[in-house]
Amino acid sequence: MNAPTIALAARATTVRLTDLRKRYRVGDEWAEALKGVSLTAAAGEMVALTGPSGSGKSTLLNLAGLIDTQDAGTREIAGVAVDGLDDAALTRLRREQVGFIFQGFNLVPVMNVADNVEYPLLLLGRPPAERRQKVAEMLERTGLAGLGGRLPDGLSGGQRQRVAIARALVKSPSLVIADEPTANLDSHTAQQIVDLLRELSHERGAAVVVATHDERMSAHCDRVLRLADGELVTGELQ
Amino acid sequence: MKWILFAWKNVMRNKRRSLTAMLITAMGTAAVLIGGGFALFTYESLEEMTARDSGHVVLAAARGFDNDEDVPLQHGLSGAAALAAQYAAQPGVRAVAPRIQFSGLVSNGDKSTVFVGSGVDPAVDFRLRGPQLDFVAGEAPGPSDAVPEVVVGDELAKLMKAKLGASLTLLATTTEGNLNAVDVIVRGIVKTGVPDIDRRLVMTDIRAVQRLLLTDKVGSLAIYLKDTAQTAALAAQVKAAHPELAVRTWRDLAVFYQAVRALYNRIFGILGLIMVVIVAFAMSNTLGMAVVERTREIGTLRAIGTQPGEVVRNFVLEGVAIGTAGAAIGMLAAGLTTLGLIFAGLEMPPPPGRSTGYPLLLSFSAPLYLGATLVVVALAAAAAWFVSRRAAHKPITEALAHV
Ligand SMILES: Nc1ncnc2c1ncn2[C@@H]1O[C@H](COP(=O)(O)OP(=O)(O)O)[C@@H](O)[C@H]1O
Ligand SMILES: [Mg+2]
Repeated sequence: MNAPTIALAARATTVRLTDLRKRYRVGDEWAEALKGVSLTAAAGEMVALTGPSGSGKSTLLNLAGLIDTQDAGTREIAGVAVDGLDDAALTRLRREQVGFIFQGFNLVPVMNVADNVEYPLLLLGRPPAERRQKVAEMLERTGLAGLGGRLPDGLSGGQRQRVAIARALVKSPSLVIADEPTANLDSHTAQQIVDLLRELSHERGAAVVVATHDERMSAHCDRVLRLADGELVTGELQ
Repeated sequence: MKWILFAWKNVMRNKRRSLTAMLITAMGTAAVLIGGGFALFTYESLEEMTARDSGHVVLAAARGFDNDEDVPLQHGLSGAAALAAQYAAQPGVRAVAPRIQFSGLVSNGDKSTVFVGSGVDPAVDFRLRGPQLDFVAGEAPGPSDAVPEVVVGDELAKLMKAKLGASLTLLATTTEGNLNAVDVIVRGIVKTGVPDIDRRLVMTDIRAVQRLLLTDKVGSLAIYLKDTAQTAALAAQVKAAHPELAVRTWRDLAVFYQAVRALYNRIFGILGLIMVVIVAFAMSNTLGMAVVERTREIGTLRAIGTQPGEVVRNFVLEGVAIGTAGAAIGMLAAGLTTLGLIFAGLEMPPPPGRSTGYPLLLSFSAPLYLGATLVVVALAAAAAWFVSRRAAHKPITEALAHV
């Protein structure tokens, strides 16, 4: 299992966040959520963001995932300098390059498992045959073969998060953003989900940034960054 | 195709709410279609009634319609026979009926009363007026070579105590301004359903009227067409060919028709507007709740690369699905009502100024159905657009944080 790590070094940097600052208005006060945080992640690399609740993990992930904007600092995703792009361009970039995995799964309840996984390909306008083939392959890889026709309501938490992983990775994005993906799962299931996410993102060359305060989860990541009070305290390579 | 399917699944997500919106839309559509069908039927009946009464195109001498003559037929039409023959020969023309409107006193020897008379060609006029003249007794008069025969209104017959075969005397002012009289025999008694007319109506052969008034003119020539739609064309043709004549169409002469049409257009126009408001309200309400409930889902879809326009489009599809289903149910209900009324044989009470009712029927009009459906679907789409556009543009992090 050393091969991916060696390959990593040669790979391009997928995410380059530099000196990001973000503050929120809380009543009459300003709360600084990020006080100049920099982060890079390479293709196929899985970076864990840890730190106590309120330390700025979600804020950083939202900036990395292009669903929020910073007050200062720069961002580069998949080789594109994204700051200054308009909403439509950012949306296109997310559509093509970014997959999301949420704590609460966030599947579309009226769509069955296969439709949920197919949705990103539908947005990309991929032809039906390609969509069918990729969805089938993804369901197979995430251990959901045979469940394609089920509605999310009828699935366990672990199964739902597998669907979310399939939905995030089916388009082979450059970047996957996962905000506490295992917080709603028991530890055994959480373990499986982390392994699956790591395996698939390595395989597809996607950089993963995952926020978690679960030590067992960060132990499976390539690199762990610790945030406290909006600042990076340690960064260590595993 | 997939998008439509998802839209339909989303519509079915809250069945009761969507069904309520559908039913409100259906009721609105049905109300408009039934109201509109009733108005159209009324217009058509009145059109037919008026055209049967007056003729489609009516010719008179200049000032013949002005009603300001010093003596009867001062502005009468000379040489009517040639004109009548000319237009009777034209294709599309069913018949040409010469007429004289006159008035005077009718007497039974013991008492007299005012009558309003109509001199007509018996061979033509009674056939044309068809069901409008309801014969209570007797029949149409024949040609008036010996003693002229008349048809009188039923109220007038009662007033004159006149049975079939009774003899009456008509007294009128001639074209020269003198009084003249003629004895007539009652051949028929009719009921028009308008009491004011039934109390005064006398119809007889136009030649007898000409003898009574000492003239060979007629008051007007009524041209009856096979197809009412040709009215304007013929009127234009006559005006061009005979600039010296006054020309009116049935529409010009149909005061009652115009009044009813104006009234109904307003009533059903307002009904339509109310329905538009109700449907728009129901749609906005239903879709607005769906949008609020699905804020987090909207955030999710936006995060994974859905453009705001695509989010709005999905809600518009849902609106269109509800609107189309509602319009379809409404059309079905209106269609069944239209059919049902044909078999039910219901009567409307007599309108003001009339003594007889008329059948309650609805006209089916494809343009009306199509128009109503388009309006409903457009309303639904507009409501969906209106209620979803803000949520679609909401900051994604806010939408995702929505509970
Ligand atoms: N929308 C917001 N409005 C105001 N303050 C916010 C908002 N989002 C986050 N914060 C604040 O920013 C800080 C960092 O929050 P967050 O990034 O969610 O931390 P974490 O994900 O590590 O728990 C916290 O103090 C939090 O209260
Ligand atoms: Mg968080």
